[in-house]
Amino acid sequence: MITKIITIEDLTEDYPKSVKYLADKGIRCIKCGEPIWGTLEEACLEKDFTQEAIELVVKELNELHQNGNSEEEISYHKKINIKNIKKKQL
Amino acid sequence: MTINIQTVLKNLGLSETNQGVSTGAEWFDTDGKINTSSSPVDGKVIASVKTATLEDYEKVVQKAQEAFKEWRMVPAPQRGEIVRLIGNALRDAKDDLGALVSYEMGKIFQEGLGEVQEMIDICDFAVGQSRLINGVALQSERPLHRLSEQYQPLGIVGIVTSYNFPVAVWAWNSALAAIAGDVVIWKPSSKTPLTAIATQKIIQKVLRDNNVPEGVFNLVVGRSSVMGDNFLGDKRIPLISVTGSTAVGRRAGRIVGDRLGRSLLELGGNNAVIITPNADIPMAVMSTVFGTVGTAGQRCTSTRRVIVHADVYDQVRDAFVGAYDKLKDKIGSPLDEKFLVGPLIDEHSVALFEEAVSKVQQEGGKVLFGGQKLEGAGFESGNYVMPCIAEAQNHFEIVQEETFAPIVYLIKYDGDVQNAIDIQNDVPQGLSSAIFTLNMREAEAFISQSGSDCGIANVNLGTSGAEIGGAFGGEKDTGGGRESGSDAWKVYMRRQTNTINYGADLPLAQGIKFDI
Repeated sequence: MITKIITIEDLTEDYPKSVKYLADKGIRCIKCGEPIWGTLEEACLEKDFTQEAIELVVKELNELHQNGNSEEEISYHKKINIKNIKKKQL
Repeated sequence: MTINIQTVLKNLGLSETNQGVSTGAEWFDTDGKINTSSSPVDGKVIASVKTATLEDYEKVVQKAQEAFKEWRMVPAPQRGEIVRLIGNALRDAKDDLGALVSYEMGKIFQEGLGEVQEMIDICDFAVGQSRLINGVALQSERPLHRLSEQYQPLGIVGIVTSYNFPVAVWAWNSALAAIAGDVVIWKPSSKTPLTAIATQKIIQKVLRDNNVPEGVFNLVVGRSSVMGDNFLGDKRIPLISVTGSTAVGRRAGRIVGDRLGRSLLELGGNNAVIITPNADIPMAVMSTVFGTVGTAGQRCTSTRRVIVHADVYDQVRDAFVGAYDKLKDKIGSPLDEKFLVGPLIDEHSVALFEEAVSKVQQEGGKVLFGGQKLEGAGFESGNYVMPCIAEAQNHFEIVQEETFAPIVYLIKYDGDVQNAIDIQNDVPQGLSSAIFTLNMREAEAFISQSGSDCGIANVNLGTSGAEIGGAFGGEKDTGGGRESGSDAWKVYMRRQTNTINYGADLPLAQGIKFDI
């Protein structure tokens, strides 16, 4: 079960499909070949995601891994939804 | 030479499942997650590691604190003798450890051997330094007073290492820390835990045979959920040494800084080679190609940018493409000595490589060679790529970033060498740099105060492949830390100023009168 307090390292090791999913949201989990430190929530906040957007990311990541869905299978509307509720500035 | 990896693992004392926590000669059975380490070479699982829990970490820190009290009282040359014996143990295990470095990390066997040689070299350096830990005598303004400085052991040194130099960076730090009277706690990369465990097993006989206190050389294999912010924020650890990305270093610097601890940061680079019209072009190209594709572009000091004068640009570009063309058939298993370029560490790094290739084109660059993921026989792990040469502009967003993969950007400059230096310096990072020129004025300008702003500035050799004798590290987003040679040992010690009054009076400094 993925929560917002999961570390990026645990995410990349245990839920590797998350890396591409988050990259498409502008969050780079891997730098210099290693996972960045910190939690999923921290990584999202750095990119100005709201708490609402973070909850949606968590939900979709769980769906992605529980259903074995590929990133592409997440609906276009959901992607747009995240973009819309992402704040420009905190 | 044929390398049988099962024999290597056996020789190094590794089994199917390995303990990941040790305080020297002793190993702990832990209840942490079991991590498997897979080889980027063929994708196969090598072995598993039982990682640490927070309780294990606590036990290790307490052991290290106790050991420090003993170790700091051992005379430095005797501490150096232990490091000398560790160097010898590494000599004996060089082939096996070099092969495991190659298999677990993906660098070619020759580079795996080179990495172990670096460990040996820094041990030799540290042995000599153990008799040269010196201070200075200064001049006191007060009569019959003696003013001096000396260096004292610091305490526990936390060492965070990266997968690309999975064991050498530990050696750089721990050999100097040990002779300084410090004790170390090593958090290796989660991608390369087996080389760390093998190293600990290599040194444990030396530690046991010489009654080195348990807790001087500690290893804790754990993910950042166990060895992360808590490790960085631990006030019992006065110095944290981090080798990794700028992102990780920035976080580490902030957390360690908040508690007013010390950090030694060796972070990302965006290293450039300048080739002027006065260069020995064949030498420049030969040297730079190693810098761009060596370790499959996964060195902190890998050459990312080549800044070439317009007068020789076409010649250099064609020579580069020609050299890469010869490499086409030399990409493959790093354990097979006919290959010169191995895999990237994992599929995520391959994806980032492909993304960089795509992005440089989107920004207006032109791919001249390579840039594809390799498929087919020998490349089943999915981690092999064809190294890429792209023409680009320095201001491109992708050029300003460090892509940890074999992609190099050719950038043209005109006019004076200062123009090339300005381009070179115009990135956030400042690790390594080089110029190829036979013109003394250009060379001197490059290493002058208005020259390269990097921690390393070379003339007529490439950006990668530093010797241990010099201080290693860089400026700006590279973090400012210095490891390895020169006077880097001072980082591992605390400086103390001593004033001794051997007279009968009590004169105050600055002539202050305070008569009661």
